[in-house]
Amino acid sequence: MQSLIGVMLMKFVLGQVKGEEEEENTLEVRETKVKGKSGKFFTVKLPSPLVPGAKIRVSVEMVFTHVLQPYPTHITQAEKQFVVFEGNHYFYSPYPTKTQTTRVKLASRNIESYTKLGNPSRSEDMLEYGPFKDIPPYSQDTLKVHYENNSPFLTITSMTRVIEVSHWGNIAVEETVDLKHTGAVLKGPFSRYDYQRQPDSGISSVKSFKTILPAAAQDVYYRDEIGNISTSHLLILDDSVEMEIRPRFPLFGGWKTHYIIGYNLPSYEYLYNLGDQYALKMRFVDHVFDEQVTDSLTVKIILPEGAKNIHVDSPYEINRAADELHYTYLDTFGRPVIVAHKNNMVEQHIQDVVDPAAEARMKVACITEQVLTLVNKRLGLYRHFDEAVNKYKQSRDISTLNSGKKTLETEHKVLTSEIASLQSKLKTEGSDLCDKVSEIQKLDSQVKELVLKSSVEAERLVAGKLKKDTYIENEKLHSNKRQELVTKIDNILDAL
Amino acid sequence: MAEHSGPDSGKHKANHANANSAALLHGRAGAGTGAGGLSGGLSQPAGWQSLLSFTILFLAWLAGFSSRLFAVIRFESIIHEFDPWFNYRSTHHLASHGFYEFLNWFDERAWYPLGRIVGGTVYPGLMVTAGLIHWILNMLNITVHIRDVCVFLAPVFSGLTAISTFLLTRELWNQGAGLLAACFIAIVPGYISRSVAGSFDNEGIAIFALQFTYYLWVKSVKTGSVFWTICCCLSYFYMVSAWGGYVFIINLIPLHVFVLLLMQRYSRRVYIAYSTFYIVGLILSMQIPFVGFQPIRTSEHMAAAGVFALLQAYAFLQYLRDRLTKQEFQTLFFLGVSLAAGIVFLSVIYLTYTGEWPQMRKVKVCLHLTWVISTQITLQQCFSTFHPTAHWLDAGEGGRGRRYAKIHIPIIASVSEHQPTTWVSFFFDLHILVCTFPAGLWFCIKNINDERVFVALYAISAVYFAGVMVRLMLTLTPVVCMLSAIAFSNVFEHYLGDDMKRENPPVEDSSDEDDKRNPGNLYDKAGKVRKHVSEQEKTEEGLGPNIKSIVTMLMLMLLMMFAVHCTWVTSNAYSSPSVVLASYNHDGTRNILDDFREAYYWLRQNTDEHARVMSWWDYGYQIAGMANRTTLVDNNTWNNSHIALVGKAMSSNETAAYEIMRSLDVDYVLIIFGGVIGYSGDDINKFLWMVRIAEGEHPKDIRESDYFTPQGEFRVDKAGSPTLLNCLMYKMSYYRFGEMQLDFRTPPGFDRTRNAEIGNKDIKFKHLEEAFTSEHWLVRIYKVKKLDNRETLDHKPRVTNIVPKQKYLSKKTAKRKRGYIKNKLTLKKGKRPNRKTV
Repeated sequence: MQSLIGVMLMKFVLGQVKGEEEEENTLEVRETKVKGKSGKFFTVKLPSPLVPGAKIRVSVEMVFTHVLQPYPTHITQAEKQFVVFEGNHYFYSPYPTKTQTTRVKLASRNIESYTKLGNPSRSEDMLEYGPFKDIPPYSQDTLKVHYENNSPFLTITSMTRVIEVSHWGNIAVEETVDLKHTGAVLKGPFSRYDYQRQPDSGISSVKSFKTILPAAAQDVYYRDEIGNISTSHLLILDDSVEMEIRPRFPLFGGWKTHYIIGYNLPSYEYLYNLGDQYALKMRFVDHVFDEQVTDSLTVKIILPEGAKNIHVDSPYEINRAADELHYTYLDTFGRPVIVAHKNNMVEQHIQDVVDPAAEARMKVACITEQVLTLVNKRLGLYRHFDEAVNKYKQSRDISTLNSGKKTLETEHKVLTSEIASLQSKLKTEGSDLCDKVSEIQKLDSQVKELVLKSSVEAERLVAGKLKKDTYIENEKLHSNKRQELVTKIDNILDAL
Repeated sequence: MAEHSGPDSGKHKANHANANSAALLHGRAGAGTGAGGLSGGLSQPAGWQSLLSFTILFLAWLAGFSSRLFAVIRFESIIHEFDPWFNYRSTHHLASHGFYEFLNWFDERAWYPLGRIVGGTVYPGLMVTAGLIHWILNMLNITVHIRDVCVFLAPVFSGLTAISTFLLTRELWNQGAGLLAACFIAIVPGYISRSVAGSFDNEGIAIFALQFTYYLWVKSVKTGSVFWTICCCLSYFYMVSAWGGYVFIINLIPLHVFVLLLMQRYSRRVYIAYSTFYIVGLILSMQIPFVGFQPIRTSEHMAAAGVFALLQAYAFLQYLRDRLTKQEFQTLFFLGVSLAAGIVFLSVIYLTYTGEWPQMRKVKVCLHLTWVISTQITLQQCFSTFHPTAHWLDAGEGGRGRRYAKIHIPIIASVSEHQPTTWVSFFFDLHILVCTFPAGLWFCIKNINDERVFVALYAISAVYFAGVMVRLMLTLTPVVCMLSAIAFSNVFEHYLGDDMKRENPPVEDSSDEDDKRNPGNLYDKAGKVRKHVSEQEKTEEGLGPNIKSIVTMLMLMLLMMFAVHCTWVTSNAYSSPSVVLASYNHDGTRNILDDFREAYYWLRQNTDEHARVMSWWDYGYQIAGMANRTTLVDNNTWNNSHIALVGKAMSSNETAAYEIMRSLDVDYVLIIFGGVIGYSGDDINKFLWMVRIAEGEHPKDIRESDYFTPQGEFRVDKAGSPTLLNCLMYKMSYYRFGEMQLDFRTPPGFDRTRNAEIGNKDIKFKHLEEAFTSEHWLVRIYKVKKLDNRETLDHKPRVTNIVPKQKYLSKKTAKRKRGYIKNKLTLKKGKRPNRKTV
């Protein structure tokens, strides 16, 4: 149980199967409802059906926010901060539990009181309840611990993250953060003298914290409405840039502050492209401080002017707001801005898979692009073969013809199969382009026939089985037909 | 135009006959720049010349812009000074709410509970300029934050100032001098001090407007064209909208006209220029809400009106003289004079009778005197943006004026910028220019013409004002630059020009070129100078090349030293921001003391949005701008009694102060305390001004002498006066400071600013509570507690001996148990039968 976090809001579940090789697999989790029961329920899909009698080990990680309530709610500067944790003695589940142990790990040894169900054992900062045997489903019993906790109860009350992608190879990230100390509220005066002279004065206040920025972050700035905040340090590590952020003033309970942090990233680390299709892969939320809680987050992604077909993928559910337009640097028709909100987030939400935004319907477009190149290549093959036939006609060397034929056959096969696989992919994407591609395939087979026919004719001509005039006539016919087909294919390709 | 006075056009012709002088012009341009390209300048003179001037002006702009960036580069792009935070705040308001909203802006966050009508009490030129630039840039989708526009506005305008100075000097003397003047004004510290990046003050754009207006004025006097005069009026309008110093223009231009009349230099050009200027300028200036009807009501504008009337009369007389015979004219003249004298006499009697004498007297007494007095006073007044001197001056009703002045002068005197200038600061701000500018003035007077009369008057009045007040150094700087440039240019002409002449025989086409450049050259283009130069040349024929090169080298050395000095002063004296303090360690690393912003930001984030913060007025604009909280008094010191009330609260004891603070709805009190780091500009050092200002309004409650020791010293240690040691300001500054030991050599509670151990170490508050103290204790904020729900007794409950002991048994019988009251009226009671039976 994270010390900071939660009000009965299940944030986030990661099921993990631990097999014999201690391999950890994340399981698929979906939210469901159970009739007549309150609370949040989740369906977990196991990798393989569980046979009767078989065993599986599943570990569930849940993160709660705003669960620890400061008690007393107001303290003076000299006092320590105590919090109350309320939870459940039992594992809340729709299944009967055979045996169960509950361990509560606390932030300090100093415990005021705790519920004494089943005579729990206490050691240092750990409470152990149970083991309880044969617990019926949906059992609940309030667990309550009142203990000292001086860890900084920082909460990001709201945060706006703006990611501006420039087509000049730069990604500018700017985070506007509203920070509040949500622990016990400071009562009475704040004495700087005591704060400076006595080490345990204001023990639960926040002097500074560390923010970890991406390793490539450059030109970092940390400021607010009235200018640069001069109390910060930047430490460049191998795999990250660590920024020690000191708010202008120490944060006591109930105090808040507001700042802006921004930096530049090179776009080659986050922006991928294939032809004219671009995908941006960045974190939806980034690290601000350890064990962070964000009450509300707005992410804005500003794409370069003229970006079209925008598509967003996210690892978890986000609320997309209407897209906006942003004007800067002599823009004429504005840059598209993707706006997304999410409330109640924790550190575990920092996921790398966040948001392949940018020019989308991309897969389809990407496939069609591939189809295009392949078809063109295939047509090129025919030309190549024609050349081989001509050579043959001049040199009368059957081997060149045969080898040319062979290469044509093999390469044609490869290309055709590739196109076919792409076609099937298109089908799975549910695109109507699939039909067009099949049409191309049909036309192509006709072309191939013609090509082969002409080569046979050429063979016959060389062998003297055919008169030159008729050959030329036939050749003309063939080439006309071929031309027709090729233009047809081209038309379709253009339509793609 | 044909009626132009004879001598001018004659000289003009003479000028063109002199081919040498045309060649010399190029020599001067080259000398002024010290750059090459002279050989090319001979084949294509006009082209080269304009290219050179363009390049030099561009470089001057660039140099001026970049030398103002020290603070931005060393620190950051913010408003670095305290006062401009208001300008920034209102510009921000303008940019985000639009122009009309800005004009109608009632700022309820200032002068609680009075508020301030901002639109009607500011010169909007600065905000509108910045807002306009911001708007244009945003129209083009160039995203620049309004803050950056504000920060870089003054450096950009310094380039425009350089150009307008160039234009003006060119009109007065020649192009070479103009270029030198442009270079001087671009880097001279006297102007940089008010226009560094990050100081977003009216003066930043006003000096440009001032110079440009003067240029257009000179131009209109020279040409007598209505077009130039209208341009001059528009420029004057911009100046009025930008700075209270416009009064300088509206007095200097009439003075110029007046002196021209005295010098018998009246001409139709002057008549056209001044009549147009006065009428259009007057109407335009009245469009600024803050100025309103002042131009026709207040005495500092009366000189202009008087000269206008005088000019009309003079022109009328001139007209009559043309029409009438001498005899008729004389009778008419005497009749008119005696009539006027009679009217004036009667009106004086009337005004004295009705009690409006003191104000009107100034109008009536000699125009010349009025100027000096009124301009000086009004300048002071306007420069300190609406300081209460305005009331002092306007307070014409009866003898109130004197008393008013006595009360209000402390607040003006308390501003360090209003102190008289020292000689050091003349040299510091102007360096070599202060020595050379009299020479330039002498050159001008020696070859006097209409516009040089103007520059002479400009110089003399500006010198006088600069001597009165440090702040007015700013108006002196441009004219010093111009006159020094003339002096330098002249010297260079003599010592470099000759070489040119020897190398290059007189060139005919260049004089033609000169003609082409000024088609219809109807006015004298520094003709006298050329003549003068050629005369000089004759006498200096015998100068050896050694002398010439030595003199030139010396002059160049001086200019080089000037440039070095300018950079040094700018870098060291005028580029240290006041919002952020920096100290340097022995190893050269920098410590930033960001206490001001720490505390202001704390206020912004962690107090109620409508909290009212009491502080001394110096910090009012900052609190409004950075902390975004309501203030009681601020740097716009228009209401002296309000300030005095705050001063009284600071200088009374806690109980009395609490009364005042309760009545003013104060939530927080903010003070500046430098005792920990040795910051000398803190509130204890300003404290005597608070006492004086408070005493001015509340002489019964606050007496300055109470805060001194019997020996007349102001001390914070044990020997200090008990009134001081128990007043609110002292207690707030030193609360818990007595426990603090800064280092081992000094006792606890040792104040580094005043080098004394504080006298009152046991400070307790009853009605206040420490709310925040910044890291280096520079800013301390106290919270004013609300009245207690239940008043706690500050003494023990009285112990009386009537309290019955537990074991006490009354000896009284049931019958005698009744107590008795002394002298009680005895009543005879009726008998009760049933009682008796018991």
